Amino acid sequence: MRRDLFRGHLESLLLAALAGAPGHGYEISQRLTRASAGEISPTEGSIYPALHRLERSRLVTSAWSVGDGRRRRVYSLTDAGHRAVDASRREWATFSSAVDRIMEMAACA
Amino acid sequence: MRLIESYMDALAAALHVRGRRRRRFLDECREHLTNAAADRGEHDAVRAFGPAATIAAAFDAEAATQRALRATSLTVAGVLLTGASTLALIQGAEAGTTAPALWAIVFFVAAQLAGTAVALASLQGLAQRHETIAPAELSLLCRRNLTALVSAGVTMFAAGAAVPGQASPFALMAGPVLVCVAFVATLRARHLARRLPGARDAATRSPLEDLRRLLHAHLPELTPARLLAAVTVLAAAAAFARDRAEHASAAGAAATAGIEAFAVVACFAFFGRELGLWRRAATSGSATPTHTPA
Repeated sequence: MRRDLFRGHLESLLLAALAGAPGHGYEISQRLTRASAGEISPTEGSIYPALHRLERSRLVTSAWSVGDGRRRRVYSLTDAGHRAVDASRREWATFSSAVDRIMEMAACA
Repeated sequence: MRLIESYMDALAAALHVRGRRRRRFLDECREHLTNAAADRGEHDAVRAFGPAATIAAAFDAEAATQRALRATSLTVAGVLLTGASTLALIQGAEAGTTAPALWAIVFFVAAQLAGTAVALASLQGLAQRHETIAPAELSLLCRRNLTALVSAGVTMFAAGAAVPGQASPFALMAGPVLVCVAFVATLRARHLARRLPGARDAATRSPLEDLRRLLHAHLPELTPARLLAAVTVLAAAAAFARDRAEHASAAGAAATAGIEAFAVVACFAFFGRELGLWRRAATSGSATPTHTPA
């Protein structure tokens, strides 16, 4: 899938990837790739500026965690982040069903 | 891990932000690449991570935004507290002191400029607080902050020069100290912003556009010329009403309103471009106000 198609949605996707459980940057990028069966794989380095922006907006919070002898920055959703995920899910459902209807109309023409 | 190390060197060289935020970002990137390399090899890990220059620029922009927004909060606090310090100074003036006209004019013009610049900066900061601000607009936000801080300092200085007196040192110093802190924070934000590509491009930003975004309301579209006309009329009317409320004659109040209107137009002409309210037309080279929607 073309990367520019989801560029404007990266933050929503990151929030959704964190909705189930906290995770570090690499883990989050793997979740996106797995959940989309490889269709969505953002430039991995671009995740970090976006995560820092979400943290500034207080939608996620982060802390260093040590596991397997390695130090990782683990991100988790705040309450505001959970609310943002719900809101973007509703928005996306409305948007995608509208696009579906238009595309079906084009297919019938 | 030679490929990862050379990528990390390139990333560190391209990154302008310094300090704790830089160390954290580089640590996170290194950890990511190490994990990715263990899964699919160094070459693929580095390729999927993206070009070092692009990733560094994106992170610098985010860091500069964070700095500029923090500096804006400090600026708002500094200007408000300087206003309080100035009031304390005026309250402590010796009885019967009359301010020289020159200092009184400097006081009123600087106070209104500080108020306008801090209002523009706050509106911009609030409207853009959840996004990474474009470099040219970051520079504009810093200019608005610096204008507000310098004007607030000049206001207090003019008040002190016009009506000398005595007041509590804490009340007098609180505002200027915070202004200095905000000044340093803004300079730091500007220093980082100016290293981003496009930071020196001209940027204009209408306060009505920011208000529209904040209030989700329909506000009229105004060109800079119409905005100036509306503000001038409002300011002149307010000056007239204030003078009349202080029992001035109608002619005296009208003269004050005229001076106020002149000051607003002159400030718009002198500081409007720095504050992003208008810009020179690119084709003609004249100073015709043009409007670029934010």
